Amino acid sequence: MLILLVILPFIGALAAAAAARKSGRAADICMNVTAAAVFALSLALPGHDFGFRIPGVLASGLALKTDGFRSVYAVITAFMWLGTSLFSPEYFRHEQEHLGRYRFFVLVTLGATEGVMLSADLMTAFVFFEILSFTSFTWVIHEETAEAVRAGYTYLFIAVIGGLVLFMGLLLLNTSAGTLAFGELAEAVAELPGGSASPAIFAAGICILIGFGAKAGMFPVHVWLPKAHPVAPSPASALLSGILTKVGIYGILMTALAVFRGNTRFGLIVFVLGEITMSLGAVLALFSVNLKRTLACSSMSQIGFILTGISMTVLAGAHEEAAVTALSGVMLHMVNHSLIKLVLFMAAGVVLMNAHALTLDEIRGFGRRKPLLKAAFALGALGISGVPLFSGYISKTLLHEGIVETAEEVAGLHGLLHAGEWVFLVSGGITFAYMLKLFIAIFLEKNSDPSRQAVYDGQSGYMNALSGSVIFGSSLLMAVLGQPAVMTRLAALMTGESSILEFRAFTPGNLKGGMISLTIGAALYLLVVRRILLRRGSYVNLWPRGLDLEDRVMRPLLVRVLPGIFGFIASIFGENRILRPLCRFLFPGVFGSVASVFGENRVLRPVCRFLLLAASVVGRALEVSTDSLIALLRKTVVRERKGIAPAGRKPGFFVELREGTREAAEPIIQNFSFAMLMTCIGIVLILGVLVLSVLR
Amino acid sequence: MSPLLLIISILLPVAGGFLILPFRFTDSRKMAVYCEIIAVLTTVLVWTALIAVRREPLTVYSFTHGFSITFRADGMGSLFAGMVSLMWPLVLLYAFDYMRESRRQHVFFAFYVMTYGVALGVAFAANMITLYVFYEMLTLVTIPLVTHYGDRESSYAGRKYAAYTIGGASLAFFAVILTTVWGDAGRFVYGGSLGEECVPWLMKTAFLLGFFGFGAKAAVFPLFDWLPTASVAPTPVTALLHAVAVVNTGVFAVTRMTWYVIGPEMLSGTAVQTVCLAASVFSLVFAAVMALREKHFKRRLAFSTMSNLSYMLFGVLLLIPEGLAGGLAHMLFHGIIKMSLFLCAGAFMHMTGNSYVYEVNGAGRRMPVTFVCYTLGGLSLTGIPLFCGFISKWQLLTAGVTAGTTAGYAGTAALIAAAFLCAMYTLTVSARAFFPPAGTDRYAAPGPGGRRAGEAGPLMLAPILIFSVLNVVLGIFPGPVMDFIRRIAEGLI
Repeated sequence: MLILLVILPFIGALAAAAAARKSGRAADICMNVTAAAVFALSLALPGHDFGFRIPGVLASGLALKTDGFRSVYAVITAFMWLGTSLFSPEYFRHEQEHLGRYRFFVLVTLGATEGVMLSADLMTAFVFFEILSFTSFTWVIHEETAEAVRAGYTYLFIAVIGGLVLFMGLLLLNTSAGTLAFGELAEAVAELPGGSASPAIFAAGICILIGFGAKAGMFPVHVWLPKAHPVAPSPASALLSGILTKVGIYGILMTALAVFRGNTRFGLIVFVLGEITMSLGAVLALFSVNLKRTLACSSMSQIGFILTGISMTVLAGAHEEAAVTALSGVMLHMVNHSLIKLVLFMAAGVVLMNAHALTLDEIRGFGRRKPLLKAAFALGALGISGVPLFSGYISKTLLHEGIVETAEEVAGLHGLLHAGEWVFLVSGGITFAYMLKLFIAIFLEKNSDPSRQAVYDGQSGYMNALSGSVIFGSSLLMAVLGQPAVMTRLAALMTGESSILEFRAFTPGNLKGGMISLTIGAALYLLVVRRILLRRGSYVNLWPRGLDLEDRVMRPLLVRVLPGIFGFIASIFGENRILRPLCRFLFPGVFGSVASVFGENRVLRPVCRFLLLAASVVGRALEVSTDSLIALLRKTVVRERKGIAPAGRKPGFFVELREGTREAAEPIIQNFSFAMLMTCIGIVLILGVLVLSVLR
Repeated sequence: MSPLLLIISILLPVAGGFLILPFRFTDSRKMAVYCEIIAVLTTVLVWTALIAVRREPLTVYSFTHGFSITFRADGMGSLFAGMVSLMWPLVLLYAFDYMRESRRQHVFFAFYVMTYGVALGVAFAANMITLYVFYEMLTLVTIPLVTHYGDRESSYAGRKYAAYTIGGASLAFFAVILTTVWGDAGRFVYGGSLGEECVPWLMKTAFLLGFFGFGAKAAVFPLFDWLPTASVAPTPVTALLHAVAVVNTGVFAVTRMTWYVIGPEMLSGTAVQTVCLAASVFSLVFAAVMALREKHFKRRLAFSTMSNLSYMLFGVLLLIPEGLAGGLAHMLFHGIIKMSLFLCAGAFMHMTGNSYVYEVNGAGRRMPVTFVCYTLGGLSLTGIPLFCGFISKWQLLTAGVTAGTTAGYAGTAALIAAAFLCAMYTLTVSARAFFPPAGTDRYAAPGPGGRRAGEAGPLMLAPILIFSVLNVVLGIFPGPVMDFIRRIAEGLI
């Protein structure tokens, strides 16, 4: 059944491609049916534990398995695909171009994502990870605008770098630990001298972190994310942001759990990167004035939250309680963020397909008379901001609690973790601030252009019943997942630890953390957004254009510096600088002077003169006889004719033979003399060395 | 069956090709059929020989002191012969279509078929002298192929090609003679065949000269410049000879010398090994960067070939069996991949008349099959799983890490860096072909004369498709092939 979950989308992709030849509608049905079938199948997974192995394929066989976390994520994945594929027929109503390609690659990516989420070893995860890296490239570049192409290239190269670094990590881990199966890694690593702290394992861990981190959007390999998510079509943005980032997280989480539990060094690296990703993403989102870019930066920020949680799981190590709290926070926040971004990006898609714009100024006031969209967006915003009773609250509280507990349990890290806790709370506050910014701008304020506002207010059929029910239906999940009873059960299922069932979300202590965040958020909204971003009633982009890691550092390094250095070397070692002067010196210079001594003027010419004199006597005699013989042969055997051969008559066989051979052999003969020369040099060298070795 | 089969399979294409010169075929179709029959017949002979012949040597001619021309089909020779014989008939099909409008076709095909036999001679050579003879012959018979177009550029390329490879071979000649004198007549024995009385420093010097000498054909830095220049030759030549058969004989000869004559024990851990490893690691990164800089489609692929040849040398020079397995596997898999890449590039150039990378924009829409195959090749060359390039790269890198030396780790890191560059120089072409930036699609409108560029003919597409299928199938089910290669690398066959 596991293999069916992976294979079915691939078959569906082919079927959709075939159906697209007939009509777009048939292909859409094909896509929806496939997604629905995968969803139905995946629903049977939770509660079962089993594995599946295909040996002999690829380098070391493929292995799939299911357990609590994997099965839940298989369901979430299928759900996300079902939601977006139900939404996409309407979204793509007016642009049918390249849609066949889009459907095909969306379904292939579904198969690959299920493959990663169900993988039982790192190799399997890697294989499917690479597939989805390349297939999702087509989403980013789908619109084929200059911007999309540029973002696509960035995405592709970060994906390739990530894949290769990951490859390196797997290699190091495999050669030192001898296995890549998640189930066996912990034991294998523990047996090594130095355990997970040994250099090879640690290096492998860093490589894996960067490799998967590139897909997750972790700093400093996040550069593709704020560019790629906005340019992709909205259903694809939802998947990129909701699921594909989680694929990266999945890899980091599984490796951290299997190999690095209790490794402080690794934990701190993840912690620092997580904190940077979290705060940087939040700040970028706050300053962005584009709807989808804000959501994309928000994704990056939420990934930072999750990474921080993972680092707590690693740091807490043997302290079971703190580790379980943090781990539950990580897994629940993954689920929450996937579903929230599904809703928000689809809502952004509705905005885009009606308003054909994304900057806040242009879409301001779009949602004033659209209650359904307003409600869905509000639920998503409440969820991600961590407002009590909505989904994000519980997972964020658990993450926060994880930091606090770890700071208490682990000696020597108190100060650092406490600082981290405040970064966490402030980032949570910024989340609230930028969601307020979006909600107020789109759904409450009026557009500064009254005619535009009138158009927005007049739009009645802005989305069809299907899309509406999909978006609103999935937004209702925010409220369902806000219930502690549901969440703790889900956490217990995913982590496999029942102790989490006793977690109480609404204690005063926990509420305090949430309230601090929300207060900071409200204050930041008033201070930053209302005071700084709003200039004379319009939102201005204040983020300095030059402040871009990709444009400042990465691209110049690859495009200018590296080729420059090597080009310089090439120009030196190319033949013009070294080889040619050498040959000039060697052949005309050295050999020339040797030749002028032994050459014809001094020695050879007198000898030759004598020889020639003698030869000419003999030759004359031979010449007469051979000439007559050749003349005879020409007349009889060769049948060569002088002048132009009569039309229609083939030249004789031997003439053909001679001409053909001559024509073909000419270049060989020319070079053959060179070969002989070189061989002679070789022989002289050998003689020299032989003499040398004898003398020794 | 007698090992005579080996000699027949070498002589058949040589003689068959030579006969084309006097018997100029008036009808190029007849010539095509004749060449194809010879090639297929030879392939059948080779495979029969590989399967049926016991692995015993056959001496054809013996000079004094054990210098002899001897053939034997051992594991490594079989691998090379098997690979070459698989490719030749396929690329011939492609060549018939590609060369249809060229003049002096009979000369081209005569030498093209002759080269097949000479390459088999290299594969089946059982000692250094035999190897050297066929190695030199291979250079000589391929010169007319490089200079085929006859213009200034090609004749310059031909001269340069000859100067580099023959000059290199003269260095290698030193190694050949020394190992023949001190060893068991240069006989190929897994693990080395040198006698007790050899002088180590002399052998190491010989190895160094041999490495850079034979390395000239494998385009190892610093003697690499001929390879990009030689890509002016017709595509069937650049594909089969300058990506696979000829350049691989360089790697093949170095491998023979390293593993079968001088032996890993003598070289392991010495400065000579470090120097050679450094040269190959440097050239693999260097070539990858140069490929990225290069705008000419075929020259870019030529630099890529140089890079990949150095991967193989890196694996071989690690001097551990895993490395040898990686090098040999990459020799086979890179051959398959590079064939499909070059044939696709050739199809593009043939159908559109363009030859620069920036002229590819939008071509994927008009030639989807070609460029999908190209993309698969590019992914494979980068080392993405599901394709065969991944398997050999995994093996090579595992070897690099297993070796555990500084050079091993440095090489592993360099390989990863080069793989990234490889993705950049191959996949940007695919991206250009399928997703041209708005307004740069060169093939959206019909070209001059109202003709739109389209897919190449079936004779050209068939080999491309076959190599792409092989690329994927071997990538997913590498088991039997890799087992065979591992057995070779451990000296079992």
